[in-house]
Amino acid sequence: MTLIAADFGKLGRSTLMSVASMLALAILAPVLVAALRADSIPAVKLNADQIAPRAIEELTGRNVTRDYAYAWRDLAAASESARADLLNDYFTGFAKDKLVRRIADQQKTGVRIRYIDHGHNVRALFYAPDGGEMQLVDNAQLEIEIRDGSKIIYREKVNQQYLVLMTPGADRWFVRSLDQLADHP
Amino acid sequence: MAKMHSLVFVPALALSLVSSAQVPTLQVPARLIAGQAFTIPTHGQGEKTFYLLGPGSVVKRTVELGTEVKVTGAEIAAAGRYLALSCGSDGCSGTDFFVLPGDAVKISFLLHPSRVPVTAHNAINATAFVFDQFHNPVLRPVTVDFRVLPKNGPAFTKSVKTVQGVAWSEMSPAAKEGPVKVIATVGEQEEPRVIQQVASEACNLRIKARRTSKGVEVETDPVRDCHGNAVPDGTIVSVTAVDAQGRTTVDAPVKKGIARTQLPIHGSATISVASGVAIGNEIKL
Repeated sequence: MTLIAADFGKLGRSTLMSVASMLALAILAPVLVAALRADSIPAVKLNADQIAPRAIEELTGRNVTRDYAYAWRDLAAASESARADLLNDYFTGFAKDKLVRRIADQQKTGVRIRYIDHGHNVRALFYAPDGGEMQLVDNAQLEIEIRDGSKIIYREKVNQQYLVLMTPGADRWFVRSLDQLADHP
Repeated sequence: MAKMHSLVFVPALALSLVSSAQVPTLQVPARLIAGQAFTIPTHGQGEKTFYLLGPGSVVKRTVELGTEVKVTGAEIAAAGRYLALSCGSDGCSGTDFFVLPGDAVKISFLLHPSRVPVTAHNAINATAFVFDQFHNPVLRPVTVDFRVLPKNGPAFTKSVKTVQGVAWSEMSPAAKEGPVKVIATVGEQEEPRVIQQVASEACNLRIKARRTSKGVEVETDPVRDCHGNAVPDGTIVSVTAVDAQGRTTVDAPVKKGIARTQLPIHGSATISVASGVAIGNEIKL
C-alpha cells in the first residue's frame, strides 16, 4: 500500500510538476512572445524638416516613430505566421483591409512571407492643420523571403519606398494606408 | 544551403543569382493598371507552379506550360510591386513588375471643425485624398474642387491640385452664422460635408435691472456678436454687483438669446456685465 501510495505520490508530483510547467508556460507565453516581438522592433528614423502645413511636435514625432516601428514589427509577424489578428494593434482602414486579404490568401495557398527588416528612413511630408492625418514616405531596407511550406522559393534584398498615411487614435498612431511607390528600384 | 543551390532567382530584380538551371523569365506587360486582367505566355511542356505575390494578394496555381497564365483584374486590384514566379523541379524563375493606380474616381474628404465661429480666420480645414476605384491612392496631380455653399451668402469654389494624393485648403467662414456645405469633387465623384458657423464672442452687451422682493433682477438685451449673430444658448454672461457688503458675481447662461439672474441686493449698488472679453454697460441703483 505504501509503495502504491508512494508511486501515486510520485505520479502526483510529476503530474503536478507537468501541470505547473504547462501553467507557467501558458502564463509566460504571451510575455515571452511579447518580449520576442519587442526584440524585433525595426529601426525607424523620422525626418520632419519638410513637413507642411503644420510643424510636428516633438512628442508627436516620437510617438509616430514608435508606432510605425511597431506596425512593421506586426506586419512582419503577421506575414510570416499568416495571422491577420496580429495587425489589429497598429493597422486600420485600407492598409489593414489589404493586408488581411493577402494573409487570407497566404492561409489558402500555404505561402509565407518573411521580412528581415534593416530599417526605415522616413520623411514626413504632410501634417493636417487639425492634426488628424500625417503622410510619410518611407525608404525601407528589407530582405524578403518567400516560402511555400518549408521550401524557400524566393529571396531578395530590396530598397522599397512606401507612401504611408497615419492617423491618431486614443493612445497611438495607426497606419491607415501603406502603398508601395513605383519610382524606386 | 543545399536547397538554396537548387533555386533560380529572378534576373530582372538584380539579385545575387544562384542557379542550377537557366529558366526563361516570365514576360509581363510593361505597363499595368490596377484591376486590368492580363496574360503571361509560357513556353515548353509539362506543369509548373505559378505564384503571384502583391501588396494585397497571393495567388498560387498549377499552369500547363505552352499555355497562357491568366491573371484576373481582382488579382491585381492593389497598386504596387508584384512578383510573378514560376517554379518547377528545375527551380524557380520570375520577374517583378509594378501595377499603377487607375484614374481618380473616389475621394475621401475631411472637413474640420464641425462648428466654427464666424470671425475665426482660416479656421476651416478641408483635406481630400483621391483614390482609384480600388482605393489605391492616385499620386499624379489631380484637381480637387472644394465648392463652398453658405446658407447666407454667395457660393464659391476653390480648386486645389493634389500632391502625393492629398489636396488641402484652409478657408475662412462667412460673416453670417448658419450651416455651410462644402462639396469636394474629383471627376464625377462628389463628397459633401456640412459644418455649422456659429456666432463669435458677444459684443455690445447691455443689461437692464429692476428691483423685486428678493433683490434685483438683471436681464440682458438679446446677446449678439459684432456681426449681429445671436450667440449660442449656454454662453456664459457674468453679472457683478458691488454694494456696501462687497462684490458679488453671478454667472448666467444665455437662454433663448437672453441671460437673466437674481442678485440679493437691497441697498444701492453698481452692476456691471461681461462675457468673454466683452464688457457691457454699468447700472447704478
